Amino acid sequence: MGSNSTRRPLPGRQQLPREFIARHQRARIIAALAEETAEQGYRAVTVADIVRRAGIARNTFYENFSSKEECFLATQEFAMSTALERVVTAAGSFEKWPLRVRAGLAAFLGYVTEEPALARTCMVEALSAGPAAVRHYEESQQAFVSLFQLGRDVSPHGADLPETLEEALIGGVFWILYQRLTTSRPEEIPELLPELVEFALRPYLGVEAAGEVAAAESVEGVEGAPAG
Amino acid sequence: MRDSASQPVDSPEYPPELARLPPGRHGLPREFVAHNQRERLIAGLAEAVAENGYAGTTIAHITRHAAVSRRTFYEHFNSKDECFVAAYDTVMAELRRRVGEAFDQEDEWPQAIRAGIAAMLEFLTAEPHLARLSMVEALVAGPVVVERYDSAIQSLVPYFQAGREGRPEEILAGLSPTTEEALVGGMVSLISRRIFADRTEELESLLPDLVEFTLTPYLGSAEAAKVARG
Repeated sequence: MGSNSTRRPLPGRQQLPREFIARHQRARIIAALAEETAEQGYRAVTVADIVRRAGIARNTFYENFSSKEECFLATQEFAMSTALERVVTAAGSFEKWPLRVRAGLAAFLGYVTEEPALARTCMVEALSAGPAAVRHYEESQQAFVSLFQLGRDVSPHGADLPETLEEALIGGVFWILYQRLTTSRPEEIPELLPELVEFALRPYLGVEAAGEVAAAESVEGVEGAPAG
Repeated sequence: MRDSASQPVDSPEYPPELARLPPGRHGLPREFVAHNQRERLIAGLAEAVAENGYAGTTIAHITRHAAVSRRTFYEHFNSKDECFVAAYDTVMAELRRRVGEAFDQEDEWPQAIRAGIAAMLEFLTAEPHLARLSMVEALVAGPVVVERYDSAIQSLVPYFQAGREGRPEEILAGLSPTTEEALVGGMVSLISRRIFADRTEELESLLPDLVEFTLTPYLGSAEAAKVARG
C-alpha cells in the first residue's frame, strides 16, 4: 500500500478524476491510521496524529470519516478484504484440500509480514478498540472457518470431529500471530508456516499426513499441486 | 504454578458479597490490615465494569458499589486503571488456584487436563462478571493489563507441555515448539468469544470439545475423544 499511496500523478496529465483522488486520500488516511496505531496503540492515537501522518487537511479527514472509530473500522475492513482475497486466490489454485489450506495460510502469513502495521492494527489493537472492532475481528476469522471445514469431507473421522474445531484452530493460529506481532517479531512470521499447517491439518488427517504436507519444501512437487 | 500461600476464600471477616472474591496479594501484612476495604473496592469495580464497561466506569461508580468514600479509594489506588489491575490480579490468582488444584488432584495427565479445563469453565460460568472482567474488559484496560492478560494465557502452556512426557517418538516429532501456545490460544478464543457475546452460560458445554481439541495432538483423536466424553 505504501508505494501506491505516494505515487504522484503523471506529468502532463490534465486533472485526476475526482473519484480517484478521493480513493487515494482514503487509502492514505487508512495507512496513516495503521502506522500511528501500530506505534502508539489505539487509545493514544488522535485524529491530529492521523492527519499529520497522512499529510492531509483535517477537513479532508472529516470528509471521509466522522471519527477515529469509523476510520478504524474502515481500516479493518480494508485489511480484511485484502487478506481474504489473497487467501481465497491462493487456496483456489489447488485441487487438494491440504494444499489449499497450506497455500491459504502461506498467503495470509505473507500479507501479515508485508503489512505489519495493518496486521498489528487488525489483530492486536482491534481487541481494545471497542465492541464493533472486536466483532469485525471475529468475522475476519470466519473466512478461514469455511476453508478448514472442507477438511471434514476428506478426514476419515470427519463426522466425529467436534463442532467447534475450526473455531479453535483459527483461534490458535491467530493467537500465535498475535504473540509475534505484540513482541515485535513479525519477521519470524513466515517461518511459522510449517508448524501452523501441521497444527491445522492434524485433527483431520492425523500426525503423519499433516506432517508430510507441512514439511514439503514448497507446494510444488507435492501430490495434488498444479502441474508446471 | 500454584500459589501455596492462598487464603481461604470464605474467611469469616469478609462481608458476604465478597465471599465470592479471594483475598488480594499475599505475604504483605500491611495490606491484610486494610484488605477489607481494598476487597470491597475490587468487588465494586467488578460490578461497575459489568454494568458500564471499562471505558464507561468512573471512580464514583466504583465507590458507590463498594460503599466507601472517594478518599478511601485514593488511599488504596491512584487511579481506575490501578484498581482494575488489582481486580484482574485477584481474579486470575483465584482462577489459577482453582485450575491448579483440579489439575493436581488427578494422577493421569489427560484426566488432569480435563479437570483443569472443567474448573476454569465452572469458575467463569459461576462468576459471569468476573469472566467478563478478565477475558473481555482486560483487553481494553490499557497496556499494563494487556501484558498481564498475555502472560496469564501463556502461563497455561506448561500444563499442556507436561503431556509430551512419555509420548512415543513419532508423536513427539510431530509436535512443533508452538503446539501448546496454539492449543491454549484456540481454547481461550473459544471461551472469550462466548463471554464477549454474553453467552457465558454456554461455557460448560464446551468442555468435551476443548478436551478433545487439546488432547488430540498427544493422544490422537480417538483416544482424545474418549477422555473428552468422560
